[in-house]
Amino acid sequence: MLKWRTVALALWMTAVSSLVHAKQLAIVVDSANATTNLTAADLSKIANLKTRNWPDGKLVTIIMRDPSAADMQLVLSRVLNMTPEQARTFIQAHKGAIQIADSDDSVLRFVSSNRGAIGIVDLYSLNKDVKVVKIDGKLPVEQGYLLRGN
Amino acid sequence: MISRLSVILLAVGLAFGSAAAQTDSRATVLPLTTKSAKARRLVDQAWDLAVDQVEQVKGIKVLRKAVKADPNFAMGHEILAQMSLDPSEQVGEQRKAFATKRHASVTEQTIVDWFQDAAEHKLIPAITNMNDVLGKYPHDRWVVYLASNWLTQQTQFDRAAAVYEHSGIADSPGLMNNTAYSYAYMRQFDKAFALMDKYVVALPKDANPQDSYAEILRMAGHFDEAIEHYNAALAINPEFYSSQFGIADTYSLVGDQVRARQEYELAFRKFPLPALHRIEWKTREAITYIRDGDLKAADTAFQAIADYAHANGMSQVEADTYRQMAMCQIHSQQALLYLSKAETAIHEGNNVMPGAVQQEFAQILRARVELAIKTDDEQIADATLAQLAELSGNSDDKLIEAAYHGAAGALLFSQHDYEHAALHLEEDIHNPLSLKLLAAAYQKTGNTVDGKRTGEVLANLNDPTLEQAMIVPAFRRCIQNPSCDSGFTNASFKR
Repeated sequence: MLKWRTVALALWMTAVSSLVHAKQLAIVVDSANATTNLTAADLSKIANLKTRNWPDGKLVTIIMRDPSAADMQLVLSRVLNMTPEQARTFIQAHKGAIQIADSDDSVLRFVSSNRGAIGIVDLYSLNKDVKVVKIDGKLPVEQGYLLRGN
Repeated sequence: MISRLSVILLAVGLAFGSAAAQTDSRATVLPLTTKSAKARRLVDQAWDLAVDQVEQVKGIKVLRKAVKADPNFAMGHEILAQMSLDPSEQVGEQRKAFATKRHASVTEQTIVDWFQDAAEHKLIPAITNMNDVLGKYPHDRWVVYLASNWLTQQTQFDRAAAVYEHSGIADSPGLMNNTAYSYAYMRQFDKAFALMDKYVVALPKDANPQDSYAEILRMAGHFDEAIEHYNAALAINPEFYSSQFGIADTYSLVGDQVRARQEYELAFRKFPLPALHRIEWKTREAITYIRDGDLKAADTAFQAIADYAHANGMSQVEADTYRQMAMCQIHSQQALLYLSKAETAIHEGNNVMPGAVQQEFAQILRARVELAIKTDDEQIADATLAQLAELSGNSDDKLIEAAYHGAAGALLFSQHDYEHAALHLEEDIHNPLSLKLLAAAYQKTGNTVDGKRTGEVLANLNDPTLEQAMIVPAFRRCIQNPSCDSGFTNASFKR
């Protein structure tokens, strides 16, 4: 037996988690970064290293999970437009500009302590040390947000 | 069980070197701020009762004494708000926690803000507040309990389990129990059973471990073993009503509705229940008639629940009951009537958190969209879906979003736009109604692998809910029948 709220939850939330859950990924930057919104096109240019500097001139450093991680599939398909293998090769060729972390916590620690860093984490990993950037004016919790889905 | 040190290392990761040192420096116990030693002692007692022994009613009574001993005990109010079985108390205690938070420590204030944000559907601040607290006190039992419960409510079962695994708390039977359920919700039954084995050993003279084991076995489809464990729980404690009702639920799931109702009636006669538990199992009893296809009897049973809820000022329960009645109707006019009653009840809003009003309203709108689809009224379906989209767009509540996506997916499916329907339905995979359509949408778009996998998940759902009753038995019959094309015909009802 569980407490009521959990039991009540089961009315809605039957056990189907062997299916893929829709993910919500957040784009985060360091708190000092003045950018509050990126267009999907801006984000794609940053991820593909076509844009290397922020408007204030700071160098962009990208940090993300391994492209083969399940969470990163949305990024590959909607931002990088690459297969996991292509992404791995691309990252390998640009080691200084793109870094790979082994966890969302690592991404958050890196972003919070490196000016100009931009990271990608699961919505539920967010903490107060980083700033969430909107994409096309939308936060991860809003409908139509780019990095939301399977 | 892995060692405490291993758990800590796993929790923080190794990528940036200083993590282990950071963990060691973090305090283990969150100090509770109260001027009353009695209140602090009572909260400890409430933990033992409500969490570890799952004696919720007794634990809640103790918590009430704690906040009476110190009315400015913000964390006491917050814990009571999260544990209470009474909707009006949940609302009132959350208000008191917020009103008294100035008497609390900074971390306790963050906890109160976390739940206040959650109640107001401000998801991002709620998440950051939760993670802030977890970052400071990852090993504190109350923090771990509150976080894993909230994450479970958010359907973040993997995170809920991770909070426990990373806490290093190995001596809390209650947390083992909660985490086993998280694994069960993820259908990781091996991990769930492993925790259950430890839970049973930890509390050999307690009924709840056997009861929980039974429920998880039932979720996995092991019905006979489930009943054995329920009986074992009752042998330990004949007053453990959850097990008596669990037996009834299990008979209902295996298709013996007569026996199920006998077991429900036996339990109702034997045990006085808290209001929400009574309603929960009265609803399950009403569902037995749906499983029998006897809609008239189901209506009578549901109406009694709605009347009880109305008389006791429980607007959300009343609204939800009318909504469920609407979902089962053959005749659209009758369904509309029940949906109107549901809307009236939820707008009365007695003893309901503002967020819960919106959640219920979203479910009602979803039911209206589905009804409009059934009656081929595309105009109403579009207009109602637009209303639901607006509600969802102005909220970051997962249940409201799921309601929108379920409704949008159903409408697109009815318009044969299977590809886009699947995109929406994937956002509502906890609801058998959407799961059924999703399996079909995958099949129709040639994605047979996902179609088969989704169908298997649906066929193996063993939760005693209305949606399961409406969808799963018929789906199982259909997939066993070669002449049944899609398997997606609804169960027939008799009047």
